[in-house]
Amino acid sequence: MRLKSGQDLATGALFVAIGVAALWIGADYPLGTAQRPGTGVLPRILAWCLIGTGALLWLKALLRGGPRLGGWAWRPALMVTLAVAAFALLIDRLGLVVAMLGSMTLAALGTPETRWREYALFAVLMLIIGIGVFRYGLGMPVTVLPKQLPGNMPWELPWK
Amino acid sequence: MEIGTLLANLALGVSVAVTLQNLGWCLAGAVIGTAIGVLPGVGPVATMALLLPVTYLLPAEGALIMLAGIYYGAQYGGSTTAILVNLPGESSSVVTTLDGHQMARQGRAGSALAIAALGSFFAGCIATLAIVVAAPPLSRLAQQFRPEDYFSLMVLGLVFAIVLASGSVLKAFGMVFLGMLLGLVGTDVNTGNTRFTFGISDLFDGIGFVPLAMGVFGIAEIIANLTNRERRDLATSRVSGLLPTREDIRRSVAPVLRGTFLGGLLGILPGGGAILASFSAYTLEKRLSPTPEKFGTGMIEGVAAPESANNAAAQTSFIPMLTLGIPSNAVMAMMIGGMMIHGIIPGPQVMEQRPGLFWGMIVSMWIGNLMLVVLNLPLIGLWVRLLLVPYRLLAIAILFFCCIGVYSLNNSANEVLIIAAFGLFGYLLMKLGCEPAPLLLGFLLGPMMEVYLRRAMLLSRGDPLVFVQRPLSLAFLLLAAVLLLFVVVPTVRKARERAFRDGN
Repeated sequence: MRLKSGQDLATGALFVAIGVAALWIGADYPLGTAQRPGTGVLPRILAWCLIGTGALLWLKALLRGGPRLGGWAWRPALMVTLAVAAFALLIDRLGLVVAMLGSMTLAALGTPETRWREYALFAVLMLIIGIGVFRYGLGMPVTVLPKQLPGNMPWELPWK
Repeated sequence: MEIGTLLANLALGVSVAVTLQNLGWCLAGAVIGTAIGVLPGVGPVATMALLLPVTYLLPAEGALIMLAGIYYGAQYGGSTTAILVNLPGESSSVVTTLDGHQMARQGRAGSALAIAALGSFFAGCIATLAIVVAAPPLSRLAQQFRPEDYFSLMVLGLVFAIVLASGSVLKAFGMVFLGMLLGLVGTDVNTGNTRFTFGISDLFDGIGFVPLAMGVFGIAEIIANLTNRERRDLATSRVSGLLPTREDIRRSVAPVLRGTFLGGLLGILPGGGAILASFSAYTLEKRLSPTPEKFGTGMIEGVAAPESANNAAAQTSFIPMLTLGIPSNAVMAMMIGGMMIHGIIPGPQVMEQRPGLFWGMIVSMWIGNLMLVVLNLPLIGLWVRLLLVPYRLLAIAILFFCCIGVYSLNNSANEVLIIAAFGLFGYLLMKLGCEPAPLLLGFLLGPMMEVYLRRAMLLSRGDPLVFVQRPLSLAFLLLAAVLLLFVVVPTVRKARERAFRDGN
């Protein structure tokens, strides 16, 4: 069965899940006294509010219905996330050039509209802007090229 | 307030704003704002988030002048795309497409563009004046606020944000709670305990405002925009004759005045801002018109009113931010982020402690508006060229700037990983029909509310009744309750839904 109000049901589930998780993780945060409210007061209040909102959303979805859950755009979502993650993982280890090329190429894979010849030109332009503005213009302390080739590839280095 | 101090304040503002450097930052903000306004799919919130790390390198005055310029500049640029290409360059110019593009098709693009720019300029001037007049007394009032008043005022602000958010009220509630919860992540300043850090040392200082905003607004928007195939119809891009006809001017005067007034009013409300203002102004014009059926066929009133309203609202939404330190929408949240980067705590004390910054920023708004008229009218052809850059390349460039921008904040690669996570989360929220703006407001206000809550409880010796015993605090809470009641009443809810839907 395809739920008519999938969007509200899913949102309610998200709210309730986060609320319950917050209660659970924060179960041992001290409550303090009325005069000196402790670390745990606001988290508990907010968690219950979130659970309550989620429950109301469920109620509304079941009684009145609501919009369906639309299709997911897996490709851009996945590739854009990977592109950002790649930049984060590469920048300290292999420098700006490798991080930019890796990240931009992954992003370009995110849409079927990419034309690769155009992209290649664009990537070179971006490299010039990126290195010129951020390394030399603003003087950011990043390495541009990998210091030593292969030797320490990112997958050989576990989290330090 | 005496005219003398007012003039002295303005003179101080001029002396700050009219330095070569600050004029430069103002121009930079206006140019960037116009550019992103023209480009569909790139909004002021994402752009400001992107530039926050860069502003770290500027003096505080220059940084805030530039950030402000981006916001009102985007209101000008957005109308250009709306009129010429039938795409809202900015979400606040959605309604401008209706009549603006029809005018362009009839060969009256020049007239529409000119009225939009001049209406915006007029609205910008009046709204800036409103800030000058309203800010000092409000600031003085705010200095008498006690902790419980602040707490209740923030409750009211969040309720406004919920009521005025487009879409489901329940979801907006959830987003505020979730935002506040996210704001609590990190070390509790009062007790030194850590909350929700999962033992990750990068989270001990809390989640950064910039990575959160950039992820939820910037990255998520890129994902959503890459999903839709783009179609841009530049057929009508030839603009001839920028002078509006006398008839168009005559018909625009009243709508511009009404739009300015309505927009200025809605801009002050927390949760309001440019988008709501333009929708409401269009609806109002349609109601008042003797020929409402003609709207959508190229009525100049349908361009003049919303374009004035969105610019007026963009300016007046600075009032609560500058005087109370409370962000009324996501853009103002960015401004507060910009202040905090420079170690300025937003609030009523800013006007006394940094008068140069305060008045300089206000004067720069007027100068910026003047620059924008010059930038937009004669140079319109240049801006339209921007639309030739395809989004598939733009997206890659924006993504890179997001990554390097966040990285440059603390040279921390882990913060870049955080924006990847929040980007995905933001996309999830978008698919669920949840607006991210209330989340951001909750994120900013949550920790502040906790501080005031604790102070109030300490001063009252643990008596929670203090929130209803202080008249000011009680008034804020009652107003919040009334507002909430209104949303639940079916007729009001329908009117609210109509205001957001009208024109779509």
